[in-house]
Amino acid sequence: MIRIQLAKALRSLAFLNTEKKKRAAELIVANKELVFQNEEKEKRAVELFIANKKLVVQNREKEKKAAELIIANKELAFQNEEKEKRAAELVIANKELVVQNKEKEKRAGELIIANKELAFLNDEKEKRAAELVIANKELAFQNEEKEKRASELIIANKELAFQGDLKERRATELIIANKELESFTYISSHDLQEPLRKIQIFSTRLIDDESQNLSEKGKSYVLGMNEASTRMQSLIRDLLGYSRTTTSERKFVSTNLNTVIELVKKDFIEIITAKNATIKVVGECDVPVIPFQFHQLIQNIIGNALKFSKPDLSPLIIVKSKIVKRSEVISDKPLSAEEYCHITITDNGIGFAHKFKDHIFELFKRLHDKDKIPGTGIGLAIVKKIVENHNGLITASSEINKGACFDIYIPSNLPL
Amino acid sequence: MKNIFLADDDADDRDFFIDALKEVSLPTDITLSNNGLELMKNLENLIQHPPPHVIFLDLNMPFKDGFQCLEEIRNTPKLKDIPVVIFSTSASDIYVDKTYEQGANYYIQKPSSFKLLVKSIEKVLSLEMWPSPKPQRENYILSIS
Repeated sequence: MIRIQLAKALRSLAFLNTEKKKRAAELIVANKELVFQNEEKEKRAVELFIANKKLVVQNREKEKKAAELIIANKELAFQNEEKEKRAAELVIANKELVVQNKEKEKRAGELIIANKELAFLNDEKEKRAAELVIANKELAFQNEEKEKRASELIIANKELAFQGDLKERRATELIIANKELESFTYISSHDLQEPLRKIQIFSTRLIDDESQNLSEKGKSYVLGMNEASTRMQSLIRDLLGYSRTTTSERKFVSTNLNTVIELVKKDFIEIITAKNATIKVVGECDVPVIPFQFHQLIQNIIGNALKFSKPDLSPLIIVKSKIVKRSEVISDKPLSAEEYCHITITDNGIGFAHKFKDHIFELFKRLHDKDKIPGTGIGLAIVKKIVENHNGLITASSEINKGACFDIYIPSNLPL
Repeated sequence: MKNIFLADDDADDRDFFIDALKEVSLPTDITLSNNGLELMKNLENLIQHPPPHVIFLDLNMPFKDGFQCLEEIRNTPKLKDIPVVIFSTSASDIYVDKTYEQGANYYIQKPSSFKLLVKSIEKVLSLEMWPSPKPQRENYILSIS
C-alpha cells in the first residue's frame, strides 16, 4: 500500500510537473502575449495622448466658436427684433400706402379727364405754335436783313469815321499851312518892305539933294539902285497879293461883270488914253464872286492886254460874256456847277507862242525880257488862283503876233 | 506953330521925318518918342499944355505898340480927341481895319520916296482934324502921289 500510494503520489507528482511545465510554457507565451499587448497598449496610449491633445485644441477652437456664435446669436436675435419692429411699421405704412394709392387712383381719374382737356388745348396751341413758327421765320428773315443792313451801316460808318478823321487831319494841316502863309504875308508886308523903303528913300535923296556932288556915272548907279528896289517892291506887293488870294476871306457877292469892267477901265484910264486903247463889252452877266478878287482877275487880264500891245497898233480889247450850260463847257476836269458865266477876253496884242498856253499861269513865269516889258510873273498866277477859288476854269490861246484870248468859266450859281 | 508928335522906334524914319518937316511950308514943333511907352509919358507931361495938333503913330514898336497907344489915347478923357494918324510900313487889311475900329483918324503907308514923305506930312497938316472927326472907311487910307 505505501508503494502504491507513493507510486500514485509519484504519478501525481509527475503529472503535476508536466502540468506545471505546460503552464510555465503557457505563461511564457502568455507573458510574451502580455508584453506585446503592453507594447500595443503603450503605442495606443501615445496615440491617444496625441489624439487627446488634438481634441483639446479642437475643443478650445469649438469653445471659441461657440462663444462667437453666442455673440452672433445675440446679434441676430437683436436684428430679428428690429426687423420685427420694422415689419410692424411696414404693415402700418403699407396700410397708409393703400389709402394713399386709392387717393391717387381718384386723382389719376381726375387727371385723365384734365389731360383730355389739355390735349384739346394742346392741339389748339400746336396750331397757334405752327402759325407762330411761320411768323417767327418771317421775323428771323427780317432780322437777318436788318442785321445785314446794320453791318453794312457799321462798315459805312467806319468808312465815314475814317474819312472824317482824314478830313480833320487835312483841316488841321490846312490851318497850319494857312498860319504859315499868314506869317509869310506879315513878313513880306512889313519886314521885307521896311529896309526896301529905306533904300528907296536914301537913293531918291541922293539924287534929289546930292546930285551936284555925283558924277553922271554915280547918278546912273543910284538910279539903277532905285529901279531895282522899285522892282523888288512890286515883286513883294504882287507876292502879297498872290498869298492874299489864298488866305483872305471868301465871301461871295452877286456882281455885274460890266460894272467890274467899268471900274477896271478907271484903274487904267491913263494908259488907255496914252495908248488910245478901246475896250468893247459884249453881253452881260451877273456872277457870284469874291468882289475884290474878281476885280483883280479882270484887272490883271486887261492890264496884260494893255501892256502886251503892239507898238504900232491901238489896243482893242473885247470882253464877251454869256451864261452857258455845263455841257457847253470844254473841259477835261469834272465840273461842279450846272451853269457857267463864260467870259472871253481877246486882244490884238503881241500874243504868245501856243506852246506856252499853260506855262503862262505859273508863278514867276515870264515870256519877255524884263528890260523890254516889265513885270513880276505873278499876275496870271494870281488870275488862275482866283479862278480856282471860284471853282471856275481858265484857258488861254494865242499865236505870236495874233493877239491873246482868255476863256474864263465861273459858276453862275452861288456855291453852297 | 503946329505942335506935332511922332512915335517911331526906327531912327532912320525919325530922321527922315525931321528932315521932311524942315521942307514943310508950315512952321512946326516936333516931339519925338522912341516907342509907345515914351509917347504915353510925353503925352502925360504935356497934358497941362495945349494938346498936340496931331500924333503920327507907328504900329510896330517895342514895349508898347501903336495899337496899345491908340487904345489908351481913345480911352483917356483928356487925350481922346487928339487926332491920330497911323504911319506904318505895312498896309495890311488887318492893321487898317483894326486901327479904323480903334478910332484912328487916318492911315498912311510910309512913302518910299522923300518927296512923297514931305507931301504926306503937308497933306496931314492941311486936314481939319480938330476935334477929331471920324472919316468914312473909304477915305481912311491917305494915298499920296
